[in-house]
Amino acid sequence: MASAASLDVGRLVQEAEALASAVRGALGPRGGQMLLTRPTGETLLTRDGRRVLEALNLGPPTARMMVACVSRHHSMTGDGAKTFIILLSKLLRGLQAILDKREGSPFCEDIQRRESYQKHCHSLKQISQSLMTFQTHILDHIMAQDLRKHFLSAFSSWEGEISRDTMESILEAYFCGRIGNSHQKLLSQLSCDFYYKCISFKNGRNEMLNLVNEYFVELHSAVTGLPVSNSRILEGFVLHRDFAVYCPADGDIRMLIVTESIDSALSASGLEFVVNAEVQYQASQVWITKRTEAIMKHLQNNNIKVLLSSVKQQEIVIYYAKISGISIVECLSSEEISLLCKTTGISPFIPTRDNICSEITETMIAKFCQPLVLGSKRYVHLGLTKTCAFQPHCVIFCGPVHGVTEQHASAFHGAFKMLQQLFKAVDLSDGCEAQPETPVNGQQLKTSMAETEKQFIDFSSLVGENPSCNQTDLQKSADLAMPIVELESDFMFSALIDRGSSVRELQKPPVKCQHPSETWIKNKSEPVVTNHRICNDAMTAIENTSTSVVSKQLNSYKHTVQSYTNVVIQAGSVLPVGGNFEILLHYYLHSYAKQCQQPKITLISTVIADALLSIPKILYSTTKENSFTQVFFKATSALQTNQQLPMHQQGLESVYCKYQLVASVLHCVAKLLTIDLIIGIRRLPQKTEVNDSEEDL
Amino acid sequence: MGGYVRTTSQSSALLGGLSITHPVLKVLTASVQNHISRFSDCGLFTAILCCSLVENFQRINFAACTVTKISRHLLSLCTDYLKSEACGCRISVDFDSIKTLLSLVHSVLASKPACMLNKTEANHLSTLVLKAFLLTIPHTVETNVVLGKCVIVPVKDKRVMDSTVFPGLLIEIPESQLARTFPVIRVSSSTIKMALFCISLSGDLSNIGEGTVIVHHGISLEVAVLDQLLNLGKQLINDQVGLVVCQKVIHPSLKQYLEEHRVITIDRVGVSMMEPLSQLTGSQPIAALHSVSPTCYGSLKDLRTESFVSKNFLHLIPNDTLVCSLILCNRNEMAWDELKLACQTAEHVLQLTIKQPLALLGGGCTETHLASYIRHKSFTLPASVLKAIDCSRTQYQLVADAFSRSLECVACCLEHDDGEILTDMVYGHFWSVQSGFPSDCNWSDLVLKCGCGICSNQQNLNWTVLQSQCIPFTP
Repeated sequence: MASAASLDVGRLVQEAEALASAVRGALGPRGGQMLLTRPTGETLLTRDGRRVLEALNLGPPTARMMVACVSRHHSMTGDGAKTFIILLSKLLRGLQAILDKREGSPFCEDIQRRESYQKHCHSLKQISQSLMTFQTHILDHIMAQDLRKHFLSAFSSWEGEISRDTMESILEAYFCGRIGNSHQKLLSQLSCDFYYKCISFKNGRNEMLNLVNEYFVELHSAVTGLPVSNSRILEGFVLHRDFAVYCPADGDIRMLIVTESIDSALSASGLEFVVNAEVQYQASQVWITKRTEAIMKHLQNNNIKVLLSSVKQQEIVIYYAKISGISIVECLSSEEISLLCKTTGISPFIPTRDNICSEITETMIAKFCQPLVLGSKRYVHLGLTKTCAFQPHCVIFCGPVHGVTEQHASAFHGAFKMLQQLFKAVDLSDGCEAQPETPVNGQQLKTSMAETEKQFIDFSSLVGENPSCNQTDLQKSADLAMPIVELESDFMFSALIDRGSSVRELQKPPVKCQHPSETWIKNKSEPVVTNHRICNDAMTAIENTSTSVVSKQLNSYKHTVQSYTNVVIQAGSVLPVGGNFEILLHYYLHSYAKQCQQPKITLISTVIADALLSIPKILYSTTKENSFTQVFFKATSALQTNQQLPMHQQGLESVYCKYQLVASVLHCVAKLLTIDLIIGIRRLPQKTEVNDSEEDL
Repeated sequence: MGGYVRTTSQSSALLGGLSITHPVLKVLTASVQNHISRFSDCGLFTAILCCSLVENFQRINFAACTVTKISRHLLSLCTDYLKSEACGCRISVDFDSIKTLLSLVHSVLASKPACMLNKTEANHLSTLVLKAFLLTIPHTVETNVVLGKCVIVPVKDKRVMDSTVFPGLLIEIPESQLARTFPVIRVSSSTIKMALFCISLSGDLSNIGEGTVIVHHGISLEVAVLDQLLNLGKQLINDQVGLVVCQKVIHPSLKQYLEEHRVITIDRVGVSMMEPLSQLTGSQPIAALHSVSPTCYGSLKDLRTESFVSKNFLHLIPNDTLVCSLILCNRNEMAWDELKLACQTAEHVLQLTIKQPLALLGGGCTETHLASYIRHKSFTLPASVLKAIDCSRTQYQLVADAFSRSLECVACCLEHDDGEILTDMVYGHFWSVQSGFPSDCNWSDLVLKCGCGICSNQQNLNWTVLQSQCIPFTP
């Protein structure tokens, strides 16, 4: 009961373009909002491309694959869903044009003996393969060699601190794309405040961002019916429950986490309780009550003021808590409990026969623990004193309807994902920092490179020789491809590739390095970490001279230094918004394509370069002052004369996110093109035993 | 055919009852409903303003982002003006005098025509609501002020004028119990001890656990539990408790035993009554069947019985009033529901007024005044602001005009009798006149008082028809 169809690139293009047209209107700062309605009657205002695409409920499996790719990219970087799908559609359109040309195309050589269908499949595979080659080798190379000199650093000083102005312009640009200009100022202020309030010391930045992203649901609350301007940041946590008992307390409040009921039941599971006499039953009831009372007294003696429980406690516990002056918050979610445990480093208390008399150590101290009324709901507001790298704060989103608060919350969450990406670097040190004890010298790197290269060839031959692989096979091979790519991007030796030579020969350490990397060549046996640090220091020292991020003139010295360090993208690299990244990459891809010896790569680079331009085209289609042609012309002429790019808008965006976006799009296209056959199965696949029995019948 | 018919003038009931399919309207009604859930009042105002804003903005047909930017600025103008001391349409509420508070309550109640109140009824009810509210304010002011509670007791099929307020709580009891209850045990002449239970005293087995319980033949757990209950009763009597209230059910045997010893028992009061009860008497809800701590008991000043129509109530009179009961009467079920909502709205409005003791002029005067202020401002806006918003002066003025028109549109909705609406050129207040006036007559002969009643026709104000083209003035 399955229908099979071969992959039609024309259909792929149509699907991608249909998806792109659904989100195109919301792209950029002047884009509009979309209103999604659910069958249940709820409405959601959104500019989130992922939200819209996921809501479409698509039929074609390939379109669903595209949306899945978008979602994966979005959940990682918190941005770029709309750009992703537009880029994808343009890229597919470009590739289709290559396929249609046939004559003289490098992808149709020496395959005359095959039949036309196989030929078609083969050329698709070839394109897919070249795309992967491009992504893993040439993209990084261009980023490191050419684009790098245009990057600005978000860090204002060499300690890696980020100034508030820079942070604001990054966040403002982000919110401009995510929620439009209605509340972007407010939200970027809010998220900026949140960032600086939550961070307790500089080195804890990544830990803080990880915690915020993981527990964002617990760290924000929404209130409907109040104006958006009432949105604010509160110190401490807001637990989304009310007190079961509230006893006001002052000073340092000792708190305890429990994950089970304090009151013991008559019989535990798996045990039998035999009642021999009525007196015995009464006595055991009394004993249970006395035990609960004793535990609560014990807690009181240990000066415990608040009990945070993940389960519902019995009424008797509530009663004794009230008498002992202990507040109780019950039915906390497991996430809330684990967030509290992580920030304070304590573990839950389990009342047993042994510790009922001993001192309680696993406690946390709070400055305050009081009820908080948000809208019509009562919550618990908790201010902890001793915490980890994360200074507990939480955000309250206000808005007229749930749809608005949800939009703001998801944009806020996305902003922190984006920041997480911003501080990621693509460089050699990534692999080394994980294991600082193991010195990675040039020789080791080389061997590991050789290994990867071998794997890569294996993989490509597998794909090339197996034209009948169906979707599941494709999935497998795609999965296979991922670790390779990840490995490669981890080590990032691609920065060592020189321009002009063929890919395989390139994987040798460069010998042409000059100052400041000269030191590196001298100490070849030294860990790469040190080299990196030297380069870094050199770089940051120069950055010190130009503290203003939006400096109009970068001195030429910086250019030379940047182009010779072994870093593809430095942590905190940013570019001005407004399609600058796309125009730059377009320019350098074109110039690369002109000198490239391999016809396939030349063709692919041209296609990608042209597809990239579609983004600034849309961005400038609605403005009056700057048309796209003007902007593009100015930018290109500036690049040709080695000048700084003209800037049209305030605001900065993370280079890493953009780089990830291009890489993900290329992955997605490569994945789509390797599909040979689409098999529609009406029924869920069943296990083999079931099939056997059916045959027997 | 058939079905439930409801007459209402409350936005919450109106919007809740409508089934809306258009997505934009869904967003609009949802935001109005959320507004009501926070502020109780002014739902219809919000809805009308939203609709006319959409309508007027669509008419000028600018790019959406320009309109958003300008109207955002207009909104900030409005809020800044309303917050400023110079604001001409707000008055501060003085809690020392009853007059402003009373007119605040009155305007809430009078704005709900479906309550079907006449003037005396509205006045009577306003007094009651205000009285009830004042009873919930604590006498001593600490840092954290917690207001008491006003419990509304429904008495249907009686006249509105029979409504009344009692300090303390009224709990309905069956008539049969009424005869048996008195006299009650007192600790002293003005103190009655009370115990409040939040667990079931019905004698059923609780918290058996997940395992199995094996009971030998001839042993009854129910008897064992009842034995415990009676022991509890004994302790209560020894402790001189005069009133036992239970959230859930009390076992009949325990009830009988307590009543034999002149202890009044009330059960099944429900979870909603627990908070006012414990607030009223200072008692803590007890959850143990044995060794009840005497600190949990609360105290009452007196106990009385009251009866209304066919209902009998036990009146719990506290030492310190923070909780009061409003007996609300109306002729039928539907009108009572409407009236209850209106009273709750008025109570909430009073609570919000404590937070910020400011009130706006009613009767449409705030809207017309604000509209003329915005018009005036749009003509005198500095060019730097226009540059920041990135729009031309004409664009700004057109949007501001649409904004003012929407405000005036809300004011116009207050005129139900097909009359004309005038505004004066001095204060920008709202004046309603009969339609069909001769075109050459003197305006001051037609008008009597403005909407809020602050201005009268004695002052020589320069009147003009609302929404006619006129020169902007400084209000």
